[in-house]
Amino acid sequence: MRIPARRIAPGRAEGVALVHPAPFSFVGGVDLGTGRLLDPASDGPGERVRDRVLAFPHGKGSTVGSYVIYGLAKRGIGPAAIVNERAEAIVAVGAILGGLPMVDGVDVQGLRPGDRVVVDADADEVLLPDVKARPVVSVLLRNRGRVLLVQRSGKVGSFRGRWSAVSGYLEGDEDPRERARQEVREETGIRSARFRHAGRAVLARHEDTIYLVHPFLFDVPSRRVRLDWENVAHRWIRPAEVATFDTVPRLKDVMSSALSLQ
Amino acid sequence: MHLTRGQERLLVDGTAAQRKAMGILVAIGELYGARGLVRITSAHVAGASYKMIGDPGLDFIEDFARDARVTVPTTVNPLGTDLRQWKELGVPPEFAEKQARIARAYEGMGVRPVYSCTPYALGVRPALGEHVAWAESNATCFANSVLGARTNREGGPSALAAAVVGATPNYGLHLDAGRQPTHVLDVRTKVRGFGFSLLGLFAGKVLGDGLPFVRGLVGGEDDLKWFGAALASSGSVGMFHLERRTPEWRKARTRGLPTVRVTKADLDATKAAYTTADDADLIALGAPQLSAEELREIAAIVDRRAPRIPVWVFTSRAAREACPAAVATIERHGGRVLADTCLEVTLLEHRFSRVATPSGKGAYYLPSLCKQRVILEDIETLMERFA
Repeated sequence: MRIPARRIAPGRAEGVALVHPAPFSFVGGVDLGTGRLLDPASDGPGERVRDRVLAFPHGKGSTVGSYVIYGLAKRGIGPAAIVNERAEAIVAVGAILGGLPMVDGVDVQGLRPGDRVVVDADADEVLLPDVKARPVVSVLLRNRGRVLLVQRSGKVGSFRGRWSAVSGYLEGDEDPRERARQEVREETGIRSARFRHAGRAVLARHEDTIYLVHPFLFDVPSRRVRLDWENVAHRWIRPAEVATFDTVPRLKDVMSSALSLQ
Repeated sequence: MHLTRGQERLLVDGTAAQRKAMGILVAIGELYGARGLVRITSAHVAGASYKMIGDPGLDFIEDFARDARVTVPTTVNPLGTDLRQWKELGVPPEFAEKQARIARAYEGMGVRPVYSCTPYALGVRPALGEHVAWAESNATCFANSVLGARTNREGGPSALAAAVVGATPNYGLHLDAGRQPTHVLDVRTKVRGFGFSLLGLFAGKVLGDGLPFVRGLVGGEDDLKWFGAALASSGSVGMFHLERRTPEWRKARTRGLPTVRVTKADLDATKAAYTTADDADLIALGAPQLSAEELREIAAIVDRRAPRIPVWVFTSRAAREACPAAVATIERHGGRVLADTCLEVTLLEHRFSRVATPSGKGAYYLPSLCKQRVILEDIETLMERFA
């Protein structure tokens, strides 16, 4: 799979992913002598960052972090590359000082520790050679502050019985927004949905597949829904209630993305 | 980001330090959407205290200094101790030795050997509209607000990179649009002396990374230094306008901005909030470093009523050397006048645990950077209390 990214520091490197799910500080986060992770929030405490592709949402903490990255790289115990969702100056400067390729704009929750990752900053992309991509649309229908969840039937190919937004696979170079409209018609019978917003893509990981989810928000004039064979039940919920449902992976983030900038 | 042919050449064919410096400027410029680099007339670099940057910083600075040379007049922030008095201060020899190596490395790059957080008090006075690259939050705030020069809140490495290249990414406070206020700060109480620090602490916390247009405040240059230093500590504020005082206040558009009102009660509450000790082992003055005039005033105060606990005064080397009588007076009463270092980046924690200070910036950083509990109070009251 190829994930588009933005070059922060030049270069190309390959390594095994080490994913830190929370904002990360190199000061107090990595031992400068051994290159081991110290940060208790890490998913791999004690793991060495050496030659790994280190992925975390964004940097935080002391500006000395830039020098720590430099020190790790100089000693040959630094990461092979850095992947962020949103780069900030401390880590960006550290990557330049240490000569490490770095990109941002990548939803790091799509990566798993152990994934083989190629970071090609010069081509503005991240490659996951062992991971399949399935592009999908996920459509949040909204009516007077509530949004529609549907429960997937036993006849669909994946995530049976789980709650989801209206969704469907994208085929070829189909226009995501057109596909979204069509799924709304098929799964709910609604023909008068009004497009409001396309959110930033979310990477929903399931085993060796990444669902590249394009989130959409449409407003609908009524709550009348006619389900087809793909779903067995529906609910109009307040967005915060999603936490109480057994959903497809990362539905909450898809909803946030669809509802952002509203 | 657009680069000139000369800048492209530095990025590709420059020395190792030039390539790295250009790399930093390009990365930051692209991160913040700069269209290009703008030439600067001076740089002020942060990250010289061994206490702050530690071995990783020392390592980088020494390596970088091998072939880095600054191309514009460059000053550097305070060190972690006064290298002419470290033994008397009880600073460990290894700390002093590594601190001296950092200073040597900077000097090898061609910076002025002036370790100060107040370059504006040492003759570095960029003119209205001049572009500079200054790290050190109080210096940045002073340059933008009081002098009308233009700088972002640079980090240590980005200011150093700008010093080597002679240019900095053109975004944020370098642009007219980035210098417009986001809030009106309406001061509804008479603020004098120490009150400027309290006002800065209070406003910075409310404003976050905003840019205030201040009304109802009258003060001199030293007052604005204390205000800006506190403002840029509790908030990420890089500039303020002061009505009828600072050079760009007429250009500021204030219609429709949210207003923050400040009363005496807010300032009293701020003083109480930053006061975490009920006694002190040391009275510390500085943060930012005192000017020569302030140093003389303090000497007179100490001479009138010598306190029973030591007074440490942080100033620049130039101010210390310009005021031998004031230094002698303070030392005669058991105090010290420390140069080339400053309160929050100096080594205090090996000797003290409770510090009394009138510095808003000091009160903000002492708990985290020096592990101190703090009494925040004006100097006259402190002298009476500890007489």
